[in-house]
Amino acid sequence: MTALQTVQSSDDSDFLLDVNDLVVHFETGKRRPFQGPSYVHAVDGVSFRVRRGTTFGIVGESGSGKSTTAQAIMRLVPVTSGQIVFHGRNILDLAGKPLREVRKQLQIVFQDPFSALNPRRRAGDQIREPLDLLNIGSRGERDERVRRLLGEVGLPPQAADLFPHQFSGGQRQRLCIARALAPEPDLIVCDEAVSALDVAIQAQILNLLKRLQRERGLTYIFISHDLSVIQQFCDEIAVMYLGKIVEQAPTAGIFVEPRHPYTWSLIAAAAPPGPIRDELKRRYLVKGDPPSPVDPAPGCRFAQRCPSATENCRIVLPQLDAIRPHHYVACHRVGELDPPAFDAAAMGNPVQQSM
Amino acid sequence: MGALLQVESLNVGLRNGAGVVVPVIENLSFEVHSGRTTALVGESGCGKSMTALAIMRLLPEDFVITGGRIVLEGEDILSLSPKRMRALRGNGMSMIFQEPMTALNPLFTVGDQIAEVLRWHQGLSASAAHAQAVEFLRAVQIPALEQRVNAYPHQLSGGMRQRVMIAMALAGRPKLLIADEPTTALDVTVQAQIFDLLAKLQQDTGTAVLLITHDLGAVAELADDVLVLYAGRCIESGASADLVGHPRHPYTRGLLGCVPHLKLGQRMPAVWSDLGEIAGMVPPLGARGADCAFLARCRDASDVCRSRPQPMLEPIETDHAVSCWRKSEIAA
Amino acid sequence: MTTLQTSTPLAIEPLDLPARPAASPARAALRQFLRSPSGVIGLCLLIVLVLGTAVGPILYPVDPLDLVGGPFTPPSADAWLGTDYLGRDVLAGLIYGGRATLTVGAVAALITIAIGLTVGALSGFFGGAVDAILVKLTEFFQILPPLLFAMVLVTLFGQKLTTITLAIGAVSWTSAARLTRAEFMRLRNLDFVKAARTAGAGNAHLILRVLLPNALPPVIVSATLAIGVAILFEGGLSFLGLGDPNVMSWGLMLGQNRNYVLDAWWAVTFPGAAIFLAVLAISLVGDGINDAANPRLRRRT
Repeated sequence: MTALQTVQSSDDSDFLLDVNDLVVHFETGKRRPFQGPSYVHAVDGVSFRVRRGTTFGIVGESGSGKSTTAQAIMRLVPVTSGQIVFHGRNILDLAGKPLREVRKQLQIVFQDPFSALNPRRRAGDQIREPLDLLNIGSRGERDERVRRLLGEVGLPPQAADLFPHQFSGGQRQRLCIARALAPEPDLIVCDEAVSALDVAIQAQILNLLKRLQRERGLTYIFISHDLSVIQQFCDEIAVMYLGKIVEQAPTAGIFVEPRHPYTWSLIAAAAPPGPIRDELKRRYLVKGDPPSPVDPAPGCRFAQRCPSATENCRIVLPQLDAIRPHHYVACHRVGELDPPAFDAAAMGNPVQQSM
Repeated sequence: MGALLQVESLNVGLRNGAGVVVPVIENLSFEVHSGRTTALVGESGCGKSMTALAIMRLLPEDFVITGGRIVLEGEDILSLSPKRMRALRGNGMSMIFQEPMTALNPLFTVGDQIAEVLRWHQGLSASAAHAQAVEFLRAVQIPALEQRVNAYPHQLSGGMRQRVMIAMALAGRPKLLIADEPTTALDVTVQAQIFDLLAKLQQDTGTAVLLITHDLGAVAELADDVLVLYAGRCIESGASADLVGHPRHPYTRGLLGCVPHLKLGQRMPAVWSDLGEIAGMVPPLGARGADCAFLARCRDASDVCRSRPQPMLEPIETDHAVSCWRKSEIAA
Repeated sequence: MTTLQTSTPLAIEPLDLPARPAASPARAALRQFLRSPSGVIGLCLLIVLVLGTAVGPILYPVDPLDLVGGPFTPPSADAWLGTDYLGRDVLAGLIYGGRATLTVGAVAALITIAIGLTVGALSGFFGGAVDAILVKLTEFFQILPPLLFAMVLVTLFGQKLTTITLAIGAVSWTSAARLTRAEFMRLRNLDFVKAARTAGAGNAHLILRVLLPNALPPVIVSATLAIGVAILFEGGLSFLGLGDPNVMSWGLMLGQNRNYVLDAWWAVTFPGAAIFLAVLAISLVGDGINDAANPRLRRRT
């Protein structure tokens, strides 16, 4: 964190959100006899800052804590410790009316468009809900805004009178986006917002989100397990593993010179088919599944699966340090390990790009 | 060599509330050969999973096969007795599902579940079956084998469960393995491992694989032949490298264009350029007329397309067939 | 950073549905209910019973507590369904007793649901310590033998119809509470509830406007069935001699005439049949509501 603050202290007003040493632990509910409860270390000391008008991507596998981070920012899960500074205020201290005021500027789009809409309310009423609850505008203005929002997400005004089950998955996700836009927020958290959609629909929604960002100057936190979507969509990327950020850098840098072995593995799994992919998989793809985040062992979280782990890695937890401006890596051996060489000549013509 | 599985103009319908049968799959024909992988690709609602279930004769209630033949090694599956069909499932063909948690019985250890398959299909004794089960788990590269044999499904991670499912599907030594979205529910690094495993097992056993997926990346990596389905109709088929490299149908081209590809070693331009997108959505069941199913969403549609019915799937070159009126105009 | 591109107007997706007006879930459920044969039969039966007790006194103006003839007069032109052991008119008893019995059933079911919904909703929504305490309370009431407990209450507070109603309500709310709690726990983790929270909804709004409407369908089914259970309860208490002797009810008729069943079958059979029909009608209606609330299960059976 110290590194973060010294390097990035250029101009504080650039940053809309500042997450500072965020910790979220849950009790598992399982109790072993004669022992204390065990804890899920869902998020374990995560810090990052999000620049106004940009998209901050968080990528990771199940159990990495990326969705819990999102929900903590939305105040939907109890936070164990840390700070979330939004518009210069720590929103973790807020409750009641001030918290509701903040909610106007902070909205979320969920993964599953089927469970994200109330099956018993009409679409228009659900988009209106934030306006009603937060007392925005007069009655007539609210109706007018609902109509305008539907148009902005590409749905006809009649959609307001339908129930969620009358829409397709992609259309439901458009409704969710319209609902998130209703109170005119500054920051929208997209928690795997396109993961449940078919690829053709996914592209429609990504284009829509980008267009809205352009037109409204929105800031996004974009959470996904899909590295290629993240690369396309985000300006800065944090790679999470078991509750910790292991690497963070601007998009331009992280796919040119990734420095953490886990990032290499993710890249190997997501590389487009071709000889480069085979080579990357052979050299960098880790074995096994992500371990459980319940009471993790000391040392580097990735040490169990890391092909380059040493004894030191298993004992001492590495800090997230800057290896150059804006590029942070949490790895003891960052100085010793060479990043993968992506042969640009071969990468330029993978099978799928010839169309 | 003849095909292991031949599907000939398969038609599947759904009987709706009013008793009318609405087409779900129309005139689908393809072959699967031993040692090769054929992929069915498409978005949800295109009928790819229903095809798999029709082959296993496990279609849900209200779905009916209204025409066509499914032939596995010379036997017409659709006319078999339920008893013969049960024997065929497991020995002749088996299936792995998308969600391994719900496909395994939570009350039995994974070793017992695999051993049970072996006892049914190979008539092994309990101890011999158990020993074999361990071998199958070894073949799917499950670490810490001795403990895992006696583990219950809920004690395993998603990737391990899918490996168990694969071991179980292979235990009957099937000639055809149907893999319905085998990696969709798994983490990306685990997906890559499962792909490698499937490819290796196929090499070792010579099993024919029918891969059901929505992921064109998986197709390019695993499949030899591909069929692209749209609204229950096959609109393009061919060898996978050729089809993914040179798609000819506007839908296939659109589908490939809307998936972002990871670009490595090069700096991304800082300007967002919209992903290619296919406007609109797949026509729902019952709203599919006689004309080209993709017509309403097609950018290349012309008056020719509007005035004629769904085009036949016709070869455009060896091993590459397209169902499009403008196939010769839309160059590769 | 993104740069501005020329903004192309966004194509509005055509929806296929405007031809069909959007029916609200309640209306769709009503349509579904009217398609279920058991629900319709039950509803008709129930309407007949309710109408009978409502307009019966006009058509058959006899006081149920008056002695109209000798004891055990068989059905005749004077007393259509005969008289009981005191010489009271059985048909008049059925008409007036039905009012009491059905009212006790409905009110007791309302009490059951009111307590059950409140306890279950609070318990399921807040979880934690609130849940622990309320679950303990529910379990306490569950382990009491209900009939015995109701008898104690009636004995303590007097054999009045209101006491009986309250006693029935007090012993039968636990299953409704458990049901509501389970529904709330399932629903509270769904994304649309979180979305409502991020839209600025407070706890009261979440419980009453967001969760409750979604949790209600199974609770309504159980409420319907609770009416039937309450009627049986009232019958049971009266049968054991704990009914209100000043208000005629079907249970009271059964209880008072039970010793003479061999001499005067009509004095016992008719109130028994009335209870049977009422409970049957309510069960059938509950079945129909269940079909309407879960249309997916309907076709399996």
